[in-house]
Amino acid sequence: MHQRMDRRRLLATAALGGVVGATGLGSLAPEAAFAAEATAVGPGLPDPNFAEGRISKISGSMLLVTGSDTVLHSIRITDGTSIWKLHPTTFDRVAVGDGLYARGVRLPDGTLAADSVWVNIVNLHGHIASVGRNLLHLDHKGQRIVAHVVPDRSAAVYNGTPAVSDMSLLRVGRHVQVLGAWHPDTNEIDIATVYAAA
Amino acid sequence: MIEMIAALQPLVVGVVLLWSARVKLLNRHAAATVERSVLPRLLGQRRALPAYRLLGGVELTLGALLLLPPVLRLEAVAAAVLAVGFLGYLGYARRAAPTSSCGCLSAQATPISGRSLVRAGVLVAAGGLGALASGGWLAALAGRPVSGAVVLLVELAAVAALSPELDRAWLLPLRQLRVRLTHPLRGGSGVPLLASVQQLQLSEAYRRVAPLLRSDVREHWDDGGWRFVGHAARYQGRAVTAVFAVPLVEPAPESVRVAVVDDATGHTLLSLAGQPPAAGPHLTVVPA
Repeated sequence: MHQRMDRRRLLATAALGGVVGATGLGSLAPEAAFAAEATAVGPGLPDPNFAEGRISKISGSMLLVTGSDTVLHSIRITDGTSIWKLHPTTFDRVAVGDGLYARGVRLPDGTLAADSVWVNIVNLHGHIASVGRNLLHLDHKGQRIVAHVVPDRSAAVYNGTPAVSDMSLLRVGRHVQVLGAWHPDTNEIDIATVYAAA
Repeated sequence: MIEMIAALQPLVVGVVLLWSARVKLLNRHAAATVERSVLPRLLGQRRALPAYRLLGGVELTLGALLLLPPVLRLEAVAAAVLAVGFLGYLGYARRAAPTSSCGCLSAQATPISGRSLVRAGVLVAAGGLGALASGGWLAALAGRPVSGAVVLLVELAAVAALSPELDRAWLLPLRQLRVRLTHPLRGGSGVPLLASVQQLQLSEAYRRVAPLLRSDVREHWDDGGWRFVGHAARYQGRAVTAVFAVPLVEPAPESVRVAVVDDATGHTLLSLAGQPPAAGPHLTVVPA
């Protein structure tokens, strides 16, 4: 905890400090950036640097993941991996049975060294069938989905304007798009962001 | 009492059949409605729409016969048989194509639910009960107007409540009213992380260092009017942390700052202050 506070102080001081080495960024023009990004994915082939599936085993910093096409992936979580589970979180919050999307670099031994992992992330459209206390019941292609509003976490984007935490403009019967975190093996999700018209 | 209720059933079933026939015969989008139902699968693409219209015609005829004198038992029996047919059709459709639309009482796409099945069951029962009656509904209603009207209202309300197609007309407004009275979603406060991330992605600092970033947001914390957002990054072959400082309250992408800090040594390798807004006339771009 103490170590983390020290690190954060260091990072904050760096961010708010004076300008350092800005000229070193000369090669960061968009053209240079895009030219450097040589993608090795052939047409119609799966992206080797992406994996998705359900976690079947966690050993150390390795995740064993069964893809929805039953392909097995080994995913290594490194010091630099970002882990999203409704919000940026830590590795100890990841559990067996969770679903995930991971992006990273495929190592020669076939494991994926993850840069970013999104756990249980879902992105769905639906109509608000009814509203309860911090609860939306969504009609999604005839299926009922229970979406929980998580105080201090859930955000709403109305008409594409900047995100706010005020959910009270959501209306029964309206169409919404919801980014959220699934509760595995249920029809319930926690809302990360809900996009709606207001 | 039972006799009176039985005598009223042809009226209830007749009204429902006429309503249903209206949807099937007068709907301009009948082709699309049929397409969403299980009929093309059951009868073939070519025969589905004529069959749908024909069913509307049968419903219209039977509904009119039920409502108009003379009173014949055969009419109620026919209505019950038709309702049994609906029940079988819905059961089949629900098994064969669970996402197909009912196409029953409204042109609106409505998946077949337990409610639709119960409604068909109610119509079967009403038809069966109606076959037991000896008198006409007009005489029964004239004999006991108040209790007759109550029975009619209750039955029609039950049919409406069992029709998912009609929810939009009464259930959603009721729920909207409840939300307006109880405000169940009130109480959100604070600046969500997404608002800061949106702001930083619009910033000049982000545009400059974006090619270095490797990860999504790894950590974030608030301190002294700023929100700090950390990404893992690589710079000159070294594992680094790119930390953005985003103004917490006032949206001001131009004052977002960024530092790139070496993870191993803790040295700041790069630090960019926000660019002051360009002087002179400029376009204000609002995210669409």
